[in-house]
Amino acid sequence: MECLPNYPSKFRRDSCFATVPMAQYERMARWIAFFIAIAVGTAGGLLYGWLVNPVKYVDTSPSSLRIDFKSDYVLMVAESYRADGNLALAVQRLSGLEEQPVESVSQAVAFAEEHGYGETDLTAMKSLLEALQNWNPSGGETPSP
Amino acid sequence: MNGERRGPWYLLTGLIIGAFLGLGFAWLVQPVRYTNTFPASLRADHKDRYRAMIAAAYMANPDLVRAKARLALLEDEDPYRMLAEQAQRSLAQGNTMEEARALGALAAALAQGSAPVQPTAASQSQATIQETPLASTSEITSTMAVTVTLNGVTLTIGSPVEFTPVPTRMATATPGGPFVLTNQQLVCDQDYGAPIIQIFTFNSAGQQVPAVEIVVTWEGGENHFYTGLKPEVGPGYADFTMTPGVTYSLRLAIGGQPINDLKTPECENESGKFNGAWRLEFIQP
Repeated sequence: MECLPNYPSKFRRDSCFATVPMAQYERMARWIAFFIAIAVGTAGGLLYGWLVNPVKYVDTSPSSLRIDFKSDYVLMVAESYRADGNLALAVQRLSGLEEQPVESVSQAVAFAEEHGYGETDLTAMKSLLEALQNWNPSGGETPSP
Repeated sequence: MNGERRGPWYLLTGLIIGAFLGLGFAWLVQPVRYTNTFPASLRADHKDRYRAMIAAAYMANPDLVRAKARLALLEDEDPYRMLAEQAQRSLAQGNTMEEARALGALAAALAQGSAPVQPTAASQSQATIQETPLASTSEITSTMAVTVTLNGVTLTIGSPVEFTPVPTRMATATPGGPFVLTNQQLVCDQDYGAPIIQIFTFNSAGQQVPAVEIVVTWEGGENHFYTGLKPEVGPGYADFTMTPGVTYSLRLAIGGQPINDLKTPECENESGKFNGAWRLEFIQP
């Protein structure tokens, strides 16, 4: 290895052979510092995001609700439908979930069966589902939100 | 070789490039989609719809425990106030009368603090439920009660809980019967501030009846409101603020004779003149 005449004085050593390992060491140290900075930053971000100021969802839409809450909403609609028998109103209420009514009720019934809802509640939901499946408001259109 | 002179700028460059890459991925390639959220995080209008649905379900199945549990999901600071405000807002926005009535009835039930039995359990066991007239929502104002028979024990929901082996007497008004004005009284109290009409509704047993719809009309205007929205005064109480110089007519939506020519009364004491209030008491015989 050749010794460069204009090499910075701080890297000069007694022997020119000593400069090359020193530069490599410097480069490696910088990479290590770079990754350590990223790791520290990531850890700091996680600490802040999870503990100090965790995310709070606001202004979400009903379609994002967890399945148990959606199912309870469907149950509310089914309870009302059982009392008033107004299917159009039930469809309008189901549209609040921003999904196809039949799909919403089907999923809710499946959830209710899986999680052991009371017989009365389950019957109400199934009745609503059956009514929706047979509903034909205008020439076979599927009720939509 | 000039690498050693670059200083720490390469770190900043890397961070900026990385940040742009991250944002591009997060906003364009894979934008965030919220799932498994809670009702409390819903947008205000969706929360209103959810709350109205809770009230509608409560009207269909007067299970206050269940309604309370559902309302708790919305994490409102004061569920009663939210329901009452939404009931008024619903009327003002011209929504269906049933929605406002349901919201008002649930608010009144919350205000009464009636602690019904666990109809949830009833729906999961072999309990039988006999609902007192719920055929039409117009009758619900005076019949917010349900009789539950569970293992031979009969009790009434909607009035103070009683466990008796015989059918319980419900503290409600006679379904469908018209209210009769029994007392119209001028009240002079400077503490009221504004001129108001106070309405009290009672059933034949002398108990105050909540969720009775009242209609006030005047030239060019009409307002609907319900008893029970100010439980601190009484479950059968409601009031309406008058504008001086305007003549009002008041009636109960359930029926009965209208009270006409209601104007701001004027009172006087040693400190001078001030606006008074009308106290109207209705009884459903």
